[in-house]
Amino acid sequence: MSSSSANAAPPIPVVLVGCGAVSQLFYLPTLRALRARGELAVHTLVDPSTAARGVLASAFPEARGCDALVNCDAPAGSLVIIATPPRFHAAQTLEAFSRGWHVLCEKPMASDTAECERMIAAARDAQRLLAVGLYKRFFPSSVYLKTIFDQGQLGALKRFTIAEGGPFRWPAATPSFFNKAQTPGGVLLDIGVHVLDLLLWWLGEPARFTYRDDAMGGLETNSVVDLHYANGAQGRVHLSRDWATANEYHFHFERGSVRWKTNDANGLTVELAGTPSALRGQLITPPSSSPAGDVLQPTNPQSFILQLSNVLGAIRGTDTVRVPGEEGLRSLRLIESCYRQRQWLEQPWFTEAEAQRARQLAAQP
Amino acid sequence: MKIAIIGANGFIGTRLVEHFHLGGLNEVAPIVRRPVSLALPARFAIDWRIGDALDANSLAQALAGCDAIVHAAIGDPRQIEAMPAILAEAAARAGIKRVVYLSTASVHGQSPEPGTNESSPLHTGHALEYNDAKIRAERSFHTACQRHGLAGFALRPGVVFGPRSRWITDLATDLRSGRAWLLDEGRGICNSIYVDNLVAAVEAALTADAKHAGAYLVGDEETVTWREFYGGVATALGIDPATIPPLKNIPDFTPGTAVRLQSLAATPAVQSVLPLVPGIAKRTVKNLLVAAQRPPAVDAWTLPAAPGPRVTQELVLLQQCRVKLPHTKAAQALNYRAPVTFATGLARSLAWLAFAEGRA
Repeated sequence: MSSSSANAAPPIPVVLVGCGAVSQLFYLPTLRALRARGELAVHTLVDPSTAARGVLASAFPEARGCDALVNCDAPAGSLVIIATPPRFHAAQTLEAFSRGWHVLCEKPMASDTAECERMIAAARDAQRLLAVGLYKRFFPSSVYLKTIFDQGQLGALKRFTIAEGGPFRWPAATPSFFNKAQTPGGVLLDIGVHVLDLLLWWLGEPARFTYRDDAMGGLETNSVVDLHYANGAQGRVHLSRDWATANEYHFHFERGSVRWKTNDANGLTVELAGTPSALRGQLITPPSSSPAGDVLQPTNPQSFILQLSNVLGAIRGTDTVRVPGEEGLRSLRLIESCYRQRQWLEQPWFTEAEAQRARQLAAQP
Repeated sequence: MKIAIIGANGFIGTRLVEHFHLGGLNEVAPIVRRPVSLALPARFAIDWRIGDALDANSLAQALAGCDAIVHAAIGDPRQIEAMPAILAEAAARAGIKRVVYLSTASVHGQSPEPGTNESSPLHTGHALEYNDAKIRAERSFHTACQRHGLAGFALRPGVVFGPRSRWITDLATDLRSGRAWLLDEGRGICNSIYVDNLVAAVEAALTADAKHAGAYLVGDEETVTWREFYGGVATALGIDPATIPPLKNIPDFTPGTAVRLQSLAATPAVQSVLPLVPGIAKRTVKNLLVAAQRPPAVDAWTLPAAPGPRVTQELVLLQQCRVKLPHTKAAQALNYRAPVTFATGLARSLAWLAFAEGRA
């Protein structure tokens, strides 16, 4: 995080759209941290609910309150953070670009890829920045893994297993998360968008895949994706909102393996083939570049702050957006392909009659 | 018939929703307290609702348009005792005449006397607060049903196992970590009931003549010992059942001072005066209680030891049971028959475990 450039430039006005759980839990401390560094000024808080705005307003009393983005009067060049349900993302992003604002849009980028493409085209036409909130790419652990995949320090990847999720505990204020009319997908769209984004970033597009989930007319709570890559690597992703998974990514290479616990932004377990023990530790800045001593690499919340700092830097021209709209589109495209190819995930405790009926329900659009 | 399932996100509630929705003969309305609990019911395109089992107004609204209720909500002892009266009031307001309440065989204690059946007298002097709470709750249920003119059926299942049941997940964890144990070589009777058999009992209560309203013990057909139960799970996990160790010492379950103080602090009387106590005093007492329960620190000169058995008072009592509780009354009055054998139920439960662990 560069502070010198931030201190030299005036703070960038920020409009926060949506004052629900993600804004209260993530953006509130992030905005506070970067405001303290002079990188931004909170200009407007947008939410139709006065009560929801109130939580943020108490932290940012200088900010204006607004019920809809269309009524906001932030200056051109401001950054709009869109943290509303996905069905609003496209319209709000287009509105922002029409007003000359930049956009950081929370994941998933939109309801579908057609909307994503419209958002990307609008950013291009308006010559504004469109970043997507896939902050796990900012984890030092993710960057470390990316390096190993790209440079092959452990040899070629052979196989992997990813298990992520557990009983749904997101403090959703409304049932919209579970309403198919309002949210087009279940666990795959929710936490899967992060997992598939990382996989696409690390490994590129799979050569082929199969997808199964347990939706039976509603939204899936368990998903299994089996992926095969052109280089022969293969892996399984198991996502759940139902039951606690191992919450672990396990990659097996020619010369060792790496295990990464979900959301551990700066920790990994590395097992070098032929060695008697595995190494588990936190990532620090290499001693060669930090003579004053060990410096722990950013934590999970710090990575979230880094994401916003990256976008602010890009607006100033001192950085480039690490996750632009084109990248946000990729995971959503893969998710749509999964849903198109979906097969019913057998639930082996069902009776034969129940399974037959479940298959019928699952096959209905 | 449209059946409301209160507590539809629990493991029994989930199976009830699956059964009724996929069975196609009845409509089902899953009711959960908060949106966060909708993940499992929302797998179906279904008329789920938000309603609080501790709030008659909220619950009555959620019950609108339903014909019958199955109450599968859980809570702490105080909530357990409060729920039946609220349930009956809400049912009456919603114009519903039939309610099936999931009680428990534990109203007879975990290790009942030979000859125990539904007419055996109940007492509230059990070692476990849960048992006493369920007894009071069941009494309250019948009284409230009578007051509101409802046909109330209270089912008393024993050890309900199946997909997402703690009897499967906790046991698998204990077996894998070497913390499982058996008392008296597992000769005790576990009074099992596979969740589908409980669902069958619920279905029987929903369709029985209202004149049969009352309390019913329900269970699997087979008499299953704890060794058979543990052995079946162990074998499926690739663990030799013969390696499950015996429990050598039964610990003293008398609650310590810290636990007693915490229970006292949770009572409504103490809670009502807590706001008057200065914050610093509350924090000091809380820190002392936490410190008192903290296990002693392990120093660097201690070699790691194998984990000890995970012993709970409930499990010790259950494994001392020598009685197969009868479900003769349910068979006669409700025409209850357990449709699934114990072996099939266990196989389905373990198939779920493989599914949940991503091994399917």
